[in-house]
Amino acid sequence: MKKTRVLWLTLMSCNGNTHSFLNYPYIEQFLNDFEFIYHPIIDSDYTLEEIISQDIACDILLIEGSVADDFIKAGVPGIDIIKRYAKIVEKIVTVGTCATFGGIFRESNYKDVSGLHFQEERRTDKYNDLFEKTVSISGCPVHPEVLVSTLYAIKKGLSLKLDAYLRPKEYFSYTIHNGCTRNEYFEYKVDNHHFGELEGCMFYDHGCRGPFTHGSCNKILWNEVNSKTRAGLPCMGCTEPSFPKRNIFETKKNMGIPEFLPVGVSKRTYLTLAGITKAFTIDRLEKKLFDD
Amino acid sequence: MIKLIEKIEGEAKLNFSFKDNKIDDVSVDFMSTRHVEDILKGKTPLDALVINPRVCGICGHAHLIATVRALEACYEDIQISNKAKIIRELTLTFELIQNHFKWFYLTIFPFFGVKQEIAKALYPTQLMGKAIAVFGGQYPHTSYAIVGGVVCEVTNMDIIKVQRYIDETTDFFEKNVLSIQNSDLKTLNTLNDLSHVKGDLRDILKKIEQNDWQNLGKSYDRFIAFGESSYFKKGKSIKTRVTQNLAIDDVKETDSTTSFAKSVHYHDQYYEVGPLARAMIGKNPLIKDAHRRYGDSIFTRILARVYEIPQLLEHTKILIESLDLSEPSYIKPEVDISQLNAVGISAVEAARGTLIHKVEIEDLKIKSYEIITPTQWNLCGGHEQNLGVSQKAMIGLDNVKLAEMVFKTFDVCSVCTTH
Ligand code: SF4
Ligand code: SF4
Repeated sequence: MKKTRVLWLTLMSCNGNTHSFLNYPYIEQFLNDFEFIYHPIIDSDYTLEEIISQDIACDILLIEGSVADDFIKAGVPGIDIIKRYAKIVEKIVTVGTCATFGGIFRESNYKDVSGLHFQEERRTDKYNDLFEKTVSISGCPVHPEVLVSTLYAIKKGLSLKLDAYLRPKEYFSYTIHNGCTRNEYFEYKVDNHHFGELEGCMFYDHGCRGPFTHGSCNKILWNEVNSKTRAGLPCMGCTEPSFPKRNIFETKKNMGIPEFLPVGVSKRTYLTLAGITKAFTIDRLEKKLFDD
Repeated sequence: MIKLIEKIEGEAKLNFSFKDNKIDDVSVDFMSTRHVEDILKGKTPLDALVINPRVCGICGHAHLIATVRALEACYEDIQISNKAKIIRELTLTFELIQNHFKWFYLTIFPFFGVKQEIAKALYPTQLMGKAIAVFGGQYPHTSYAIVGGVVCEVTNMDIIKVQRYIDETTDFFEKNVLSIQNSDLKTLNTLNDLSHVKGDLRDILKKIEQNDWQNLGKSYDRFIAFGESSYFKKGKSIKTRVTQNLAIDDVKETDSTTSFAKSVHYHDQYYEVGPLARAMIGKNPLIKDAHRRYGDSIFTRILARVYEIPQLLEHTKILIESLDLSEPSYIKPEVDISQLNAVGISAVEAARGTLIHKVEIEDLKIKSYEIITPTQWNLCGGHEQNLGVSQKAMIGLDNVKLAEMVFKTFDVCSVCTTH
């Protein structure tokens, strides 16, 4: 089968998605089915100078990094390169949270920094004509398997079910909380978590956003071995429009109730559940997981 | 003549002028920045642990470790367990190792008539990523090192897993890069000793000699390293004279009019940082022998970088053995960091050399944050009377392709340089 031609275009970025992609375990297989007309690290048939000055045949445009009108890439406005290739390609994929929502560099000093279609939650309407063509894969950085499998789905011509931010539902309907090894502490509201321990849930005090952040981090592990929350680091919500929030290591509460609740759970439901959990203690969860 | 240098975590523009068919001047311009230091202003101090790894996708872990140490330096007294210190050193070292593999097989290879070796670059890279993820949850972009220690608890089984990644990487290195048992590294003391060894590094060094390039890319022969660890020494080396006392306050940055990268100097002089600098300061016998023969050329620079891999791998084995799992991973600081009004400075050795972070905390917030990256030391442009390290290394070459190779032996990282 013909190789699918892909342009990996990096704009205002840390290149973290590029390197996360390099953690995909079967890149050689991937490169049998796809070829990069340009990639920030992998050798390609064209130079960036050729890419920005000519129309090179291409099937999928991958954008990494935030978008701003005054951001210059290799001497030309980055947005001009997007426009040139948006016409040529069949699909556009925004790779990572910067390219999807603006991400961390939203706060840089460029004008009106955003993702391709969203500035945080807000639709920007700037590139409406490209909306139909776009798939978003948020994450800071992108998860390599989520990216590669989505590219294969595009290659196969599958019709992807997308959420309101154009993210494939198969990956973004889950919450990060799904599959976390700390779930029992959450369920029974054992709220005395300390950093540096296997036990405990970071939702109550340490800012974990897992229950209201969409993604598959605890379903498809990172580097095939672990996830932040399993390791003991609160989920920072890096797949979501508002990333990065402030005071990331703290849970903001109003009258003892966390400001953000699990997706779909009303405050009343939460309070009812919390009330019930107060009525009992589960010894096993109060103790060390492996005791002597 | 202007040449756009690509695939260096971004791009840089080199503007060459020639005289008598030799490069007699070159300017180095990095063309964009992301204002990370401004983004940090006004934030809660701990948020820097999340933002700073995003300075750079390839050495973000070094930025995390530099951040946590700068924040901890704001305390007059803070307790960090030995276990947490060792775990931080381990994960940082894993990042160094994987950066070196990527650079050797993806950046250096194509200059020697061989294609990039993607599989060889990525196999050890992924193993080292896994080793970091066991502690940090993921790689890139974990924030697992926090003020007071690390967030993870580590079990014996975790250690066993990580040891397998290290062994497998060591095995890969011995089979592919240098065919000598890591345990026999001590027998490699001169370039002569190296001549019996096979492998991809040996092949590249041979090609350098066959092309008669072994003296290319010499610069000031002045080296510096500020990051101290259980493995690296702080110090500077001028030619071969090594001195240890350095004052970090004498490191200064100056703006450039043409480039977004600020240049960095110590007592008004430019210094090379990175694996070659570390080997000269650490008086590594093999690297010193190469230096005796070929000075601070691309030969010595490439050798020094790749040769750091097996030594770091051996060091991680020692570090793991010294872990005492009964210690706490995290000790909650008595005072919350945002309560301090203080300045903290840190220096760590990242893959490409000394990385410095400086934070000032006031009224619960970050008042200012300054980041000096390794590539700023090596790559920033000076001017005619006072050329930067990489500029000086390119002067006198007779073609732009060679200049590009020399430039890339410093392992350019555009995103870090401008941040
Ligand atoms: S989304 Fe995160 S990893 Fe990706 S470019 Fe932005 S900062 Fe880097
Ligand atoms: S730590 Fe976070 S992801 Fe894990 S169970 Fe608690 S809330 Fe869920």
